[in-house]
Amino acid sequence: MAVTVKTFASASEAAGALSSDRTARYLGGGTLVMRALNEGDVSISTVVRAQDQALTRIDASAPRITLGAGVTFARVLAERDLAFLHAPARSIGGPAVRNMGTVGGNLFAPNPYGDFTVALLALDATVAVQGGFGSRDIPIEEFLQARERQAGTLVLSVSCTRPASSEAFRYRKIARIKPKGGSVMTLAAHLPISGGRIAGARIALGSMAPTQIRARAAERALEGRSLDAATIAAAASAAIEGTSPSDNALGSAWYRREVVGVHLRRLLSGQE
Amino acid sequence: MLELRKDIFADERDDNLNEIGKGTQRQDMLGHVTGTSSYFNDHKLQGMLHLKVVRSTQSHARIRRIDTTEAERSAGVRRIIRGADVPVNLNTLLSLINFGKDDEPSLAVDKVRYKGEPIVAIVADSEREAFEAVAKVKIDYEPLPAVFDVEDALKPGAPVVNETYPKNTFTYHETYDHQKLRFGDADAALATADHVLEQRYQMSPIEHAPTETNGAIAAPDTNGRYLVYTSTQALFFSVDTCAKILDVPSNTFHFIGGTVGGGFGGKVDTLTEPLAILGAMLTGRPVRYVFGREEEMQYGPPRGAERIYIKDGVMRDGRIVARKIRAYFDSGAYTRLSSYAAVKCAAHLPGPYTIPNVYGDVYCVFTNRTPATAMRGFGVTAMDFAIECQMDKLAHLVNMDPMEFRILNAYRDGDMKAHRREAKNTALIECVQVAAEKAKWPLREEFKRASSRKDGGGSRAVIPPTPTDSSRARPTAPAQQRTSYDRLPPTVTREPPREPPPPAPPPPPSPRPTAPSHGATRFSSVFGTRRR
Repeated sequence: MAVTVKTFASASEAAGALSSDRTARYLGGGTLVMRALNEGDVSISTVVRAQDQALTRIDASAPRITLGAGVTFARVLAERDLAFLHAPARSIGGPAVRNMGTVGGNLFAPNPYGDFTVALLALDATVAVQGGFGSRDIPIEEFLQARERQAGTLVLSVSCTRPASSEAFRYRKIARIKPKGGSVMTLAAHLPISGGRIAGARIALGSMAPTQIRARAAERALEGRSLDAATIAAAASAAIEGTSPSDNALGSAWYRREVVGVHLRRLLSGQE
Repeated sequence: MLELRKDIFADERDDNLNEIGKGTQRQDMLGHVTGTSSYFNDHKLQGMLHLKVVRSTQSHARIRRIDTTEAERSAGVRRIIRGADVPVNLNTLLSLINFGKDDEPSLAVDKVRYKGEPIVAIVADSEREAFEAVAKVKIDYEPLPAVFDVEDALKPGAPVVNETYPKNTFTYHETYDHQKLRFGDADAALATADHVLEQRYQMSPIEHAPTETNGAIAAPDTNGRYLVYTSTQALFFSVDTCAKILDVPSNTFHFIGGTVGGGFGGKVDTLTEPLAILGAMLTGRPVRYVFGREEEMQYGPPRGAERIYIKDGVMRDGRIVARKIRAYFDSGAYTRLSSYAAVKCAAHLPGPYTIPNVYGDVYCVFTNRTPATAMRGFGVTAMDFAIECQMDKLAHLVNMDPMEFRILNAYRDGDMKAHRREAKNTALIECVQVAAEKAKWPLREEFKRASSRKDGGGSRAVIPPTPTDSSRARPTAPAQQRTSYDRLPPTVTREPPREPPPPAPPPPPSPRPTAPSHGATRFSSVFGTRRR
């Protein structure tokens, strides 16, 4: 059976086509789907596309920003209002991949990819999806946990809060091949400061579990404290809690567990 | 920028050559930079079929049953090729030059020996239909114990990977399980050395990652001939290999290659052409067989992983007096070119240094990993890396500058190399001097004045008495004493022996063993069997 490509004018039509066909897969930038097709993934028989303008809209003026699922990383980088997302966007692929790869597609990227999602996870994003039964917003963490069962739903957009200052959001990707290798691990931290103390700390880790995860123990170690050496040390030693990394060609599970605390300490203390 | 130091060795070089030392444009460069070069995959022939391969999901398993009934009924399938359809289903590249035994089937028949080994080939109208049929082939495996480590593979009782070589080592000259180098008495010299340093170096397999993956398009031509567009790096090897596997005269084929989209050694094994031609023979249509990127990465041959142990004896003044090397080449499940890599490695020991006592054992070992092959300096690159790391560590151990340490030990014209050939036109000292100059690395005056044409020969040209392995008791266990290397100033210093070492035994009267004793004679080339 040959592969059928279906292009729709609206996102809702595309979502309908996606939910009615088990072998359908939505084509965003194509960095995942086209690779799968070229490598002979026979589970995909239908490729669904949508030309809906809403999917490529960026709403960056409000305190809560919204990125359409079809927004490419190159466009994120071109947007001055999204300066806090430039580091995560720049850490993905080379220019060619950033020109094609989309914010929505990154949510589905398996390890050692999906770095942008780590940043979104630290920023407490919500994902707007449309299934056969209408659209709804899901917290990103819930979305990631059910990612494998998301077939049939279409991601419309992602929205997240804008960090209060450039200090409040930190991101770091550890890669063996610079500037565009897969990640050994990826770390992002959102640390809103209120009255000198951290309120609502969010630490997210990539490549430390089957999906991107929050480092909740490290968050607890930071919550309500000022960002001093003792707090950072406590967070760093708690970083490993709840992680379940796996071996791959970029690093072993043992290595990832050994160094996650080191990298978190560097991230929090602002070391290069 | 290219800089030729024509003042060095001016009298040894003919400067009336037409090409060497002059800038010449490569003949295919214009096509590459203008994007007009034509590669094998640029040929889309009318009625072309596509071949895809079912690969083993097991590292080591007996094949109980192959069920292709569902795949045969799959849409677009023109032909299913099994091992029994391949005329001569056992091959190795170097057997064409009488080096090594045929050990690798084009399609596995009774057993798979590595994950990704091809078992069934499917020829279909489109790539997609071929992939769909591949997914429908059912193979029933009986898993066997596998071995993934070179030293584990040599242990008694290890699983036999490749029945052609039941001891899991390649057989050299139909007799020897490894390549040997013996020059002087390394053990005696190690016993008298001031410092002994043993280190282990472990390399990883390296993927060539060419932009163009391995592939071929074969098309029936007139007069029963076949036209083959191929990505091969070794066109005539490829023609002969196909002729052998398909059991036809080699003039049956018209191979068109020459433009390779990146090879680096990963395209010398004839992997895709035989099945593409067989597909064309069986269907009468052009057949295209190209590796996907994942196939290329996972199942295309990488550089073999080498494990190297180096044990050096060095005196306080910086002279290396003994070097013992054990190297294991991980050939993967089949020979391909690793056996030759081990020969090259043995030919490279002990590096470009004059060492009076050298002892080397190089093994080509079979494991249940992807077969390894050629890659840029294979056999030498890893050994050079290990030797040069070792040189830095030794220099540190004797508190010498690493550049000066290399100049001190470098071979000079007239020295005897461990392979019992006199060193000629050596230029390592000059290379180190130029490198130091470029790096603004200070060298002491005496080392700046050193030359590869001075201080060689004489006592350095003597072949030392060399005990043969049979004349001494074989050590039961490798009693390798290890001196750990750390970054502190060297503290591990052996007391000089109280008594002078016993005088060297008189050289045996020109030992000419009647039996062919490989290591004791001069190094033999790949054509070693022909030499005798």
